[in-house]
Amino acid sequence: MPDNVEQEVIAIISDISGYDPEEITPDKNFYNDLEVDSIKAIEITVAIEKKFKISVRDEDVPNITTVRQAVELVTQLLNP
Amino acid sequence: MRTDKDNYDAVIIGAGIGGLVCGCYLAKAGLKVLIAEQHFKPGGYCSSFTRGGFTFDAAAHSFGAYRENGIVRRVFNDLDVAERLTVVRADPSDVVITRDCKVSFWSDHEKTVRDFQYAFPAEHNNIANFFCFMRNPELSFFARSRQRTFMDLLASFFKDERLKAIIALPVYGNSGTSPLAMSAVMGSQVFTEFLLDGGYYPGYHVQSLPDTLSQVFLELEGTLLLSSPVKKIRIDDGHVKGIVLNSGDVITSRYVISNCDAKKTFFEMIGTQLLPEDFSRTLESMTPSLSAFILYLGIDHSFDGLLEPGTNFWFLSHYNFDHLHAISELGILKNTVGYLMHVSYDRKTLTAFINVPYINVRFWDKYKKIMTSAFIEKMEADAIPDLSNHVVYADAATPVTLRRYTMNHDGATFGWAITPSQVGLPYMRKPSFLRGLYLTGHWVTRGLGISGVTHVAYDTARMILRKEKRFNNIQEH
Repeated sequence: MPDNVEQEVIAIISDISGYDPEEITPDKNFYNDLEVDSIKAIEITVAIEKKFKISVRDEDVPNITTVRQAVELVTQLLNP
Repeated sequence: MRTDKDNYDAVIIGAGIGGLVCGCYLAKAGLKVLIAEQHFKPGGYCSSFTRGGFTFDAAAHSFGAYRENGIVRRVFNDLDVAERLTVVRADPSDVVITRDCKVSFWSDHEKTVRDFQYAFPAEHNNIANFFCFMRNPELSFFARSRQRTFMDLLASFFKDERLKAIIALPVYGNSGTSPLAMSAVMGSQVFTEFLLDGGYYPGYHVQSLPDTLSQVFLELEGTLLLSSPVKKIRIDDGHVKGIVLNSGDVITSRYVISNCDAKKTFFEMIGTQLLPEDFSRTLESMTPSLSAFILYLGIDHSFDGLLEPGTNFWFLSHYNFDHLHAISELGILKNTVGYLMHVSYDRKTLTAFINVPYINVRFWDKYKKIMTSAFIEKMEADAIPDLSNHVVYADAATPVTLRRYTMNHDGATFGWAITPSQVGLPYMRKPSFLRGLYLTGHWVTRGLGISGVTHVAYDTARMILRKEKRFNNIQEH
C-alpha cells in the first residue's frame, strides 16, 4: 500500500526532523529543507529499517536526498 | 486556588546545560518558561563545589565544539553568553601517556598529526588519512558505518594495536562506552567534538557556565526553581498538562521537556500504566553508559612540566579494551585500561577520573576510602612522582554520589551507552504516544558532554518553536 508507506516514512522523518508531517512533502530535500544532518540521516535510515524490517544498502543512503526518493526506495525494497 | 503564575507554555525538568540552553531559546522566542531543578544550584554534571578550602569541578572540566561554526560557539553567541565568559583553551587540550610513549592533541591539527607520526612512523600515511577523514567525514561513511563499532573503524585505518588504544582511550573516557561496543558514528563524533576541537574552559570554574546561562534565562523572564524536585508529569488523554512538584505544587504547561534521567522520566514521573508495553520493555532493556569514580585532590605543589593546568592527561595502562577493569582488593583499579588526570588552572587542585560500573551501594561504602588511597598511589607510580607528599586534601565521588546529586540512572556519566543498537531512537527524544513531551540532554541518544547536550537542546528548542510558528523569533544562520 504505497500511501501507507508514504505516511509511515513521513511520520518517521517528522519525529526525527521536528517538522510537521504536513510540511514534509515529497519534493522536500532532507539537507536543504528539513535541517537533516548526517546523524539524523542515520537515525532516519535506522528507524526506517526497523519499522519496515528491511535493509537499506549502504551505498544507497547518500543518494537519497528527497522524501520522494526515500518513499520509492522503501516501496522497492518491500516489493522486490 | 491556582493563579496565572502557575501557568506556563513550557516546563523543563532539570537545570543542567541542556535544560538551561533549551529554556533560554524558548524564553528568547517569547514563551513563558519554567525550569524546575532538584539540586540547590544549576549545572548538573557541569557544576563546582568548595570543600576543605578548595573549589573543585564536580565532573565536567572542559568542553568542545567551540571552533567557528561549532555548535557551542553558535549557542553562546545567540544567547549573549560568549561576551560574559572568558573562554580559554588548553593547548594541547589532551595528552595520552603510556609507559613508552606520549602523544598530544594540539589546536594546530598539523602539529597533532606530526606528533602521532613521530610516535608511530610505520603508520605515517594512515595517521594523515585518519585525521583528514575525521575532519571531513562524509555521509556515505556514516551510512556504511551505522552498524560498526569505533574499534572496527580504527582497525580499517591502523594496524598497530597500541595506536588504536591510544586513540580509543579518550573516546572511551568521554563516552563511558567501550570502543569495542561503541557506534563508529558516535565515536567519530566524540573524537571530533572532544579531541579535535576540545579543551575549552568557561573562565574560573565550570560553575560559571550554568550560572551565566541561568542569569540569561532570568533576564529573558524565565522562572528558575531550585531545590524543587519533580514528582509527576501530568498527563491527560495522551497530552502533557504540566508537572507536580514534590512539595505538591501543581504547575500547568503545554509542553514538558525532560532534561533528566530517561528511566526516571518514564517509569516514575509518567508511570508504566501510561506507556505502551513494547516501549516499557525496550526502555527496561537499554544499557546506560558507565559511571565514574572521581578523585578530588587539593595540592600544595604545581606539577608544571608534568601536568600542565587545563590539559586532560590520559594514562593508558594496557592496550586491551577487552579488560576495562577488574574488581579487586583495591576496588576496581586493578587492570584498569586507563584514567584521566586534570590540574585546575589555579594549580590548586587535581581531579582524576576512572570509568567504572555502578555495582551497588555496599561496594562503594566499603571501597571508597581504599580506592581513594590506591588511586593516589597508582598515579604516583604511573605518572606523578611524589604526588602523595603534596596532597593536602582528598575526597572522592563514587557512582552512588553521582546518582545522588544528578539522579542519573546508576550514576551514568553520559546517558545511554552509545552502541549501534542504541543510537537513532526517535522515541527517546519525542515519544509519539505522549503529545507535548520532549526529552533533551544526554539521555537522547545523540548528545554527549557539554557540546552534545547543547546541540540537542538547541535542536529541541527549534522543534518546539517550529511547532509554535515562532521560528523566526530565534536567530537564523
